[in-house]
Amino acid sequence: MDLKEKFFEILPEVEKPGRYSGGEWNSPDLKKPVKGDMCFCFPDLYEIGMSNLGIQILYEIVNDQKDFRAERCFAPGLDLAKKLKENDIPLLSIESKKPLKDFTVVGFSVGFELLYSNILYMLDLARIPFFAKERDESYPIVIAGGPCSVNPEPFKLFFDAIVCGEGEEVDLEILKIVTEGKRLKLKKREILEKLKALEGVYVPELYREGERVKKAVIEDFEHAPSLRRPLVPTIESVHDRATLELYRGCASGCRFCQAGFWYRPIREKSADACFDQAVSMLKSTGFSELSLCSLSTSDYSHLEELEGRLNEFCDEHRVYLALPSLRISSFKPGMVDKSRRSSLTFAPEAGTQRLRNVINKNVSEEEIDKISVAFEAGYDSVKLYFMMGLPTETDEDIRGIAEIVRRLQGIYKSLRGGRIPNISVSCAVFIPKPCTPFQWEAQISFDEMRRKQNFLRGLLSKIKGVNFSWHGAETSVLEAALARGDERLCAVIVEAYRLGARFDGWTEHFKWDVWQKAFENCGLTMQEYTRERAESEPLAWDFIDSGVTKAYLLLERHKSREGVTTKNCREGCNGCGALSRGRCTVL
Amino acid sequence: MKTVKFAKLDSFTFISHIDMLRHMTRILRRAEIPVKRSNGFNPHALVFFSPPLVLGARSFAEYVSIDTDMPLEELLARFSASAPDGMKVIRGFEEDKNPNLQGKIVASDYVFDAPYSPINIEKFEISYQKKGETVNEDVSSKLFCAWEREGKLAMRLATGNTNLRPDRILSELNARLGASLRVTDIEKIAQYVEIEGKLVDVDEYLTTIEMI
Ligand code: SF4
Repeated sequence: MDLKEKFFEILPEVEKPGRYSGGEWNSPDLKKPVKGDMCFCFPDLYEIGMSNLGIQILYEIVNDQKDFRAERCFAPGLDLAKKLKENDIPLLSIESKKPLKDFTVVGFSVGFELLYSNILYMLDLARIPFFAKERDESYPIVIAGGPCSVNPEPFKLFFDAIVCGEGEEVDLEILKIVTEGKRLKLKKREILEKLKALEGVYVPELYREGERVKKAVIEDFEHAPSLRRPLVPTIESVHDRATLELYRGCASGCRFCQAGFWYRPIREKSADACFDQAVSMLKSTGFSELSLCSLSTSDYSHLEELEGRLNEFCDEHRVYLALPSLRISSFKPGMVDKSRRSSLTFAPEAGTQRLRNVINKNVSEEEIDKISVAFEAGYDSVKLYFMMGLPTETDEDIRGIAEIVRRLQGIYKSLRGGRIPNISVSCAVFIPKPCTPFQWEAQISFDEMRRKQNFLRGLLSKIKGVNFSWHGAETSVLEAALARGDERLCAVIVEAYRLGARFDGWTEHFKWDVWQKAFENCGLTMQEYTRERAESEPLAWDFIDSGVTKAYLLLERHKSREGVTTKNCREGCNGCGALSRGRCTVL
Repeated sequence: MKTVKFAKLDSFTFISHIDMLRHMTRILRRAEIPVKRSNGFNPHALVFFSPPLVLGARSFAEYVSIDTDMPLEELLARFSASAPDGMKVIRGFEEDKNPNLQGKIVASDYVFDAPYSPINIEKFEISYQKKGETVNEDVSSKLFCAWEREGKLAMRLATGNTNLRPDRILSELNARLGASLRVTDIEKIAQYVEIEGKLVDVDEYLTTIEMI
């Protein structure tokens, strides 16, 4: 019996077998003879991974090549993992049901710190040794990429190479080099030396003190390969729709936001290119929903033109056009009418103007009041996002959150004859991240998180009709520790996995005690990593050159302490340094 | 109204009925087949399926009825070109109204991938889990007949309002046959409606019978 048959036999016994069966529309031709292949791995469930734009783009780029094929593998549910072990089946790719071990390259997309333990979970099931140095030529070259490459140190020992930055060009190069190297039976080290020469590629084993790794950047985003034939998920996934990326980078400069700094320079696509791509995606998939996605979509320079054209197309083809992540400051009445949603989402992030200045979230009180436009247009619920534990935060700022809620209620009442709206407040804990002006800041202590949460809950409970939710304090501490971690955390992650850590991003699976124990067993504490860093102290990720200079981040930090804001890059360059890596098209 | 008969194979045997609905909408959109919509406050596309197939089993007799003015030939060609590999178009039918297969189908034929040996279907008692409780049931009345088909066991089971899921009889079958059948060994080959007390194959019903 072949592996596929054996695998299909166990599928009826697991939850949602459609996660693993494959056969998605727009899958590659499995009969095409290829010279090399790559398995993209996403360390979370199918429903989550299928919504990942990055993997889909890279997948299409590789599959468009004559001689290469890309396949996928997602983290199997715990029930399937158990069955795989019981039935002696290694982890297989979705498409051809081939063991991961037999691919030319295995590439992990790492987008979230709480997925680190699942990298090991997948390697374990794939029967691939955890540490790069334990793998000889008989194994695939195992690489990583994705947003967490901003600080690869905590997982660097698991990978032969790590792509820092945008993988569209360099991933294919890696696949070509490895394929050729394996054909010529080169030593692994020789292959790695070739990979190291590529811009954006970090080879931990060959790294020499003092070297800088330049982030890979797609300079000409307008003409770069874009997603045209996304896979259509076989079972319902988190984002069951076509997603259109309008631009990379962000002009706002919110000081807590890693993506906003990491994806600079700011590169917008023309409305033409966007429209064209949207139509291809919708026609090739049959999706009935299109969402525009970028860090701050409503700031896109050609939004009005694009929206006009998309609206026409979507009306004609019965496609629902969703416009997420609106910035209050760019909120116009027209937008409300067009998006037929009943709930609005806004992220003031902080409760007072003072604190919003500190974090450079350029949203004023008057702008928050603009939500009245939405109320007038018939909206009855608002979702507000805040962060807690921001640098310089006091109880006054927390009180400000309740004040905003109260004021919005007042506006709604006066407009709607005394009725009250549904307001929900969602509060995350601030996590200082590398490559931001707050990369030196401390995260507030565990007890302080609890105290602030209780304080806010108390304030909000006095207001009728408000729903309050917050992120777990424990996961926030772990996320913070891993985000600014160093090489020593590789051992901690292995230890945590050994002790049972899996799917840490899922509340029902997260095991706080396991992680505490893992740090302890390695002679470390999470607090060592969540503490404030001295400005003179070397940081684990200093060797990564994102374009944005450390001096600029430091300057921003100092301005934040003085409550001085930085203007939006659309009004002029602030000199962050990203220009050295390409043109900011908004200038 | 046009009805497409299709097979559900390979990876698609693990796609649930509800996900099949989602796939169908997308196939029709990709194929640019204009589907009529219902009137009323919440209009929906007029697309109707035959009863759900158990997860993990193959089928060569699934049906979907589509309200469209597109000529049948063109519809079949476009449908085929836009359907994923796990769904294969077998043939098409044209009717003047909704054949309502979901409501009308009363029986299905299944082949079980085990060497045929005569089997007694009297006093066929099965037990299965339903909402966490063990149910014991004599299903003889829902088990119409068994016969040999290409050396394998075939059975006709009640489908629809009175329903017998083929996976639920597996353990009893295995006990009686000394086999080790799994749900992936089940294949649906035909479905039936009842007309004047007789079972009529759906293909025949759609081609010849005046609809009541
Ligand atoms: S280079 Fe200038 S315009 Fe571009 S992101 Fe940096 S500060 Fe903004």
